[in-house]
Amino acid sequence: MVKNDGGQLYTIEGFAAALIMIITAYLVVNATSVYTAGDTHINDMQLEALGSDALRVMDIPVSKDEHSMLQTIIEDNDIGVNNLTFGTTFSSLINNQTESGRDHIQFTTNVSYYNITKGSVDSYLLNYTRNLRGGEHSVRATKWVIVNKELPGDGVTGPLNRAVLVEVLLWRD
Amino acid sequence: MTDDSGVLSIDFIVGFTIFLIAFIWVLSMIPGLLIGLQAYTIDYDAVAYRTGVMLVEDPGEQVVAYPYYPWQSYGDLEKEKVIRFGLAVSRDTPNILSQDKVNRFFCVTISDPDAGFGYPKDYKDRLIFGDYRFNISLLDKGQTLSAGDVLPVNMSYGNIRRIVKIKSNSNATIDYPYMANHSYIDNVDNVSTHVFSIHINNSKLLGEVIDPAYQIDPSREQMTINITDLEQLQPGVTVNLTAIKICTIVKNPPSATCSPLTSNNSYPYVDGSDTRIPMPATVNENISLRFDTQYFNDRISAGAGDIFIVIKFDLSESRPQFLNNTQVLPDFNNMDAETTFFNPRTGIANPNSTPFDYNYHPDNVTQPLLRDAILEVAVW
Repeated sequence: MVKNDGGQLYTIEGFAAALIMIITAYLVVNATSVYTAGDTHINDMQLEALGSDALRVMDIPVSKDEHSMLQTIIEDNDIGVNNLTFGTTFSSLINNQTESGRDHIQFTTNVSYYNITKGSVDSYLLNYTRNLRGGEHSVRATKWVIVNKELPGDGVTGPLNRAVLVEVLLWRD
Repeated sequence: MTDDSGVLSIDFIVGFTIFLIAFIWVLSMIPGLLIGLQAYTIDYDAVAYRTGVMLVEDPGEQVVAYPYYPWQSYGDLEKEKVIRFGLAVSRDTPNILSQDKVNRFFCVTISDPDAGFGYPKDYKDRLIFGDYRFNISLLDKGQTLSAGDVLPVNMSYGNIRRIVKIKSNSNATIDYPYMANHSYIDNVDNVSTHVFSIHINNSKLLGEVIDPAYQIDPSREQMTINITDLEQLQPGVTVNLTAIKICTIVKNPPSATCSPLTSNNSYPYVDGSDTRIPMPATVNENISLRFDTQYFNDRISAGAGDIFIVIKFDLSESRPQFLNNTQVLPDFNNMDAETTFFNPRTGIANPNSTPFDYNYHPDNVTQPLLRDAILEVAVW
């Protein structure tokens, strides 16, 4: 039998102290953590506002007698073909800053429409800068656009006035 | 061995290590606990966002008064009548900014209170609504306009970036080819006085295009009329711009009046001058007319559907074929708008007066166009 057994008490005290501290910290963290929406989502909000602005501005005609650039791009673009005009314009709008230098925002854009024949929503890629990687967080910006275009499944010959949804996912490098 | 006082127990080391690990872990959580207390950047972001929304989506506000003047039309001596800044053309056109509002907003001063809006007080009272420092900048046509302080380097600040379009003002240029094509210089009378008139059909301008993004509205946005190439018409003759009269036609109840242009804010620019020139004035080459929107506003508010700008030129010698498209009746000093231009009672226009029509035809007028720009707000 060991004569000096004080060491056992040291270990128990260590465990007890650690446990008390951790429990205390856990309680304190849970008690004082104030969830502020802007705290975690402020960057998302800024990015979303930027994307929405860019889509809105692209869907405003330059003059009263013209179509908007976004409408023209969708109408003229063959489905499934990467549209460089959209990519260049959209990238320029969201990355330009008033001071020198550019932002580093990536995006991927899809167009969704209602397939009348199938009775479901189809979508196709309009343009993208690169694929979203694992761990990257994106936000979504959308815009309904009226186009005069024949889409697959329309069941008619020739263009048709209809609404399509342009959807952009944006994220920063 | 019975005396073990100098020995460090393994049990003690284990226990103390566990304690230390837990202690360090808890210490590492302390900065996280303080995040909730460091909310200043969040506040700044919120203020920047709010400011951005007001600038981009709100047309601004002025004192309630009749006639209704838009805030950007108030000069520096009347700027207390501006209640809130906002650059949008109208509430229905978010992200579309008015050129006049942009020009007025970025007319900023830090010293002379009568030379623009004062930084920071005028901006804090009408836009920021708080004791913050700020910088508002606009990238337009490759140039950056700025109001506010220099951005801080070693501290964080809240910011928002908005993408906008700016609606340019309409303008018309009446040059020699245009005069020749429209018979403005075909008059054969050998006289020294020639009268040229311009028709602003306000009812038609507001009725033909109702979208404020593309509408020409003389009471809200400045229009510019350039008359150029005057030296080509009668070389060797001195040309005097003697007077300008404004005639208005009200259809209901029918009335027509003419009055001399007396507003200093609407005097013409002559030969590329930077300042407005009182009349009479000698003209060599060109005249630029840019009327104060309040001047039109007063007349439109009084029911004027048609406004005629009548310009009188006096030549040093009697000559035919100078700029002349108006049969002034009975004479310029006693000009009667009904007989000279249009009688609202009978609906009959004088066929011998063919004023230049400021309208939506692109051959006559360069229409309002929308161009891209970037607006950034930083607050700290």
